[in-house]
Amino acid sequence: MYLKLAWRNIWRNKRRTLITVSSILFAVVCALFIESIERGSHDLTVENMTRFHTGYLQVQDFRFQDEPSLDNAFYYDPDLFDSIEQNTEGIEFTVPRIDGFMLAAGEELTRPAMVLGIIPEREDRLNSLEGRLIEGRFFNDGENSAVVSRGLANRLNVAAGDTLVLLGQGRFGMSAAGKYFISGIVQLPLREMDNQTVYLSLSEAQWLLSAEGYITSLLITPETAGQVSVIAETLRNTFEGTEYRVLTWRDMMPELIEALEFDKAGTRMFMAILYVVIGFGIFGTILTMTLERLREFGILLSVGMKRIKLATVVFIETLLISILGVLSGFGLGLLLIVYFHINPITIGGDGAEYMQDMGFDPILPTAIAPDIFFYQGSVVFLITLVISLYPSFKILRLNILEAAKK
Amino acid sequence: MAIVQTKNLSKVYNPDTVPVHALRDVSISIEKGEFTSIVGPSGSGKTTLLNMLGGLDKPSSGSVWVNGKEITSMKESDLIDFRLYNIGFVFQHYNLIPVFTAHENVSFIMLLQNRSKKEIKERADELLEEVGLGDRKNARPVEMSGGQQQRVAVARALASEPKFILADEPTANLDSTSAMNLLDIMSRMNREQNVTFVFSTHDQRVIDRARRVITMVDGAIHKDEYQNVEETKTG
Ligand SMILES: Nc1ncnc2c1ncn2[C@@H]1O[C@H](COP(=O)(O)OP(=O)(O)OP(=O)(O)O)[C@@H](O)[C@H]1O
Ligand SMILES: [Mg+2]
Repeated sequence: MYLKLAWRNIWRNKRRTLITVSSILFAVVCALFIESIERGSHDLTVENMTRFHTGYLQVQDFRFQDEPSLDNAFYYDPDLFDSIEQNTEGIEFTVPRIDGFMLAAGEELTRPAMVLGIIPEREDRLNSLEGRLIEGRFFNDGENSAVVSRGLANRLNVAAGDTLVLLGQGRFGMSAAGKYFISGIVQLPLREMDNQTVYLSLSEAQWLLSAEGYITSLLITPETAGQVSVIAETLRNTFEGTEYRVLTWRDMMPELIEALEFDKAGTRMFMAILYVVIGFGIFGTILTMTLERLREFGILLSVGMKRIKLATVVFIETLLISILGVLSGFGLGLLLIVYFHINPITIGGDGAEYMQDMGFDPILPTAIAPDIFFYQGSVVFLITLVISLYPSFKILRLNILEAAKK
Repeated sequence: MAIVQTKNLSKVYNPDTVPVHALRDVSISIEKGEFTSIVGPSGSGKTTLLNMLGGLDKPSSGSVWVNGKEITSMKESDLIDFRLYNIGFVFQHYNLIPVFTAHENVSFIMLLQNRSKKEIKERADELLEEVGLGDRKNARPVEMSGGQQQRVAVARALASEPKFILADEPTANLDSTSAMNLLDIMSRMNREQNVTFVFSTHDQRVIDRARRVITMVDGAIHKDEYQNVEETKTG
């Protein structure tokens, strides 16, 4: 009968309940949506950065991080690394790369470029690079061809089928110069990379840079992103006492992490404001409800209902309303998040350029992560719970006569 | 032994600012089975006195005894329980829990007393029958007239089997037919079941029906007399 009392009271003023439920729902949906957009776009950024740029993990020469020069490349012993790959739990595959800065020239224009020597099949496994070709094809190993990123191709005014000249310094100051057939143009998701990348086959790049047999980094792809730190730990032990050094993407991109943290802090601020606003809204309706019913409370206390009992019943009422709001918020939030996960929001115009300048894709996919639901759900629920304590608190301190007079 | 008794009861509101002497040295004693009305001009202290008798308010001095127990010094939490088992209340208006039906309103107080489900149901049925609302059991307060609501309130007050029932101007918001009807029910309960009623009123016709009339003026007992009441036929 107490539950009946609470339940009927909830539906007694349908409009008020609806307002309360929908403000909770709104808070939950907003919070869920904002956070999953943030998470989604961060995940995407990290994914792009790791796939195209650093990988999740890298093996480097221990000097390379401080002085990223070809002089600090290391000898790529396929037998050694294949056996490490085989014997370390969690490694899916490895991708060797050699990179160096050179000048790239088309027929009339010259631009700085990052030359990446790669094994196309392995690279493709990492980031589906071949799928990003917008013109032509990738080269075979040892073929005298280059694939140029779209931005750079535009700057140099070259297209597939043209000739590209690369000029610069190889290992230990050897001069490096080569002439390549442009076999394809590829569009990279990171603007900075798209504007300056030239892919050569690994052996071709090694030859060009006087670094035969050497690479600058060996990217390691874990089976799942969660294994990164475990693998790093294992490899660090394996390489103890050698000149190899293991770095995770977090070690390699501190600025990115900082930028993401900064972004998160902003979102949190916004969220805090949202919580306060919604909290006051909910408090308003609960307050009116309490004041309207003071007389009724007074009568119940007069006829002999214990304060704590009445306080509990009223608390259950608001609790049920909160649960209703949070659950319906989950429902609607999930629908929205799934929808925008499948159809990500695309940003156009200046916003898109700004985002690309920052190194982000101009799309905002949502992340579907249970912990977001758990976290945001708990926060909103907790807020409403605290607010729900108000009527109970009021009942515990109510002056019966004053209340019954109202 | 008196069911309710006050000894030198005084109440001063706002003693520090503008003192209002709502009760001055009131000593009354009400026996089991009495049908007492408290009358007097507005502001004479009727409500204040009833609140004291019901343990809803604390006196400035003096004491209230219910069934041989001094309630003025009881802790609030004990008082709530004491009221539940000893005192029935009928207020002037909005007496009932709006979301409950007549039957549920009557049942609820017995639920608070932890009675068995079966007993609660039977007694609620019986009491509603007695106040003439056997066919309105499932009506909610908003679906009932003021008179019907007050009859439910009387049934609820009776349900807890209190030592006595306090009613502060129970007929004030009712038209005269409903008022007389309510009074008929109350006096019949009084006669047939020996239920003790103490009620305040302004209404002369209600006063005429009371066997004992306590008149208050300016917070003090002015007259306390018994009168003969013609038993009207109730129907
Ligand atoms: N809470 C209060 N604070 C201050 N004064 C009060 C309070 N309650 C009642 N009084 C005063 O006490 C006196 C007695 O009031 P009470 O309500 O008992 O009168 P009453 O006889 O019931 O009047 P009515 O017939 O109008 O209901 C009045 O002068 C009133 O103004
Ligand atoms: Mg009064």
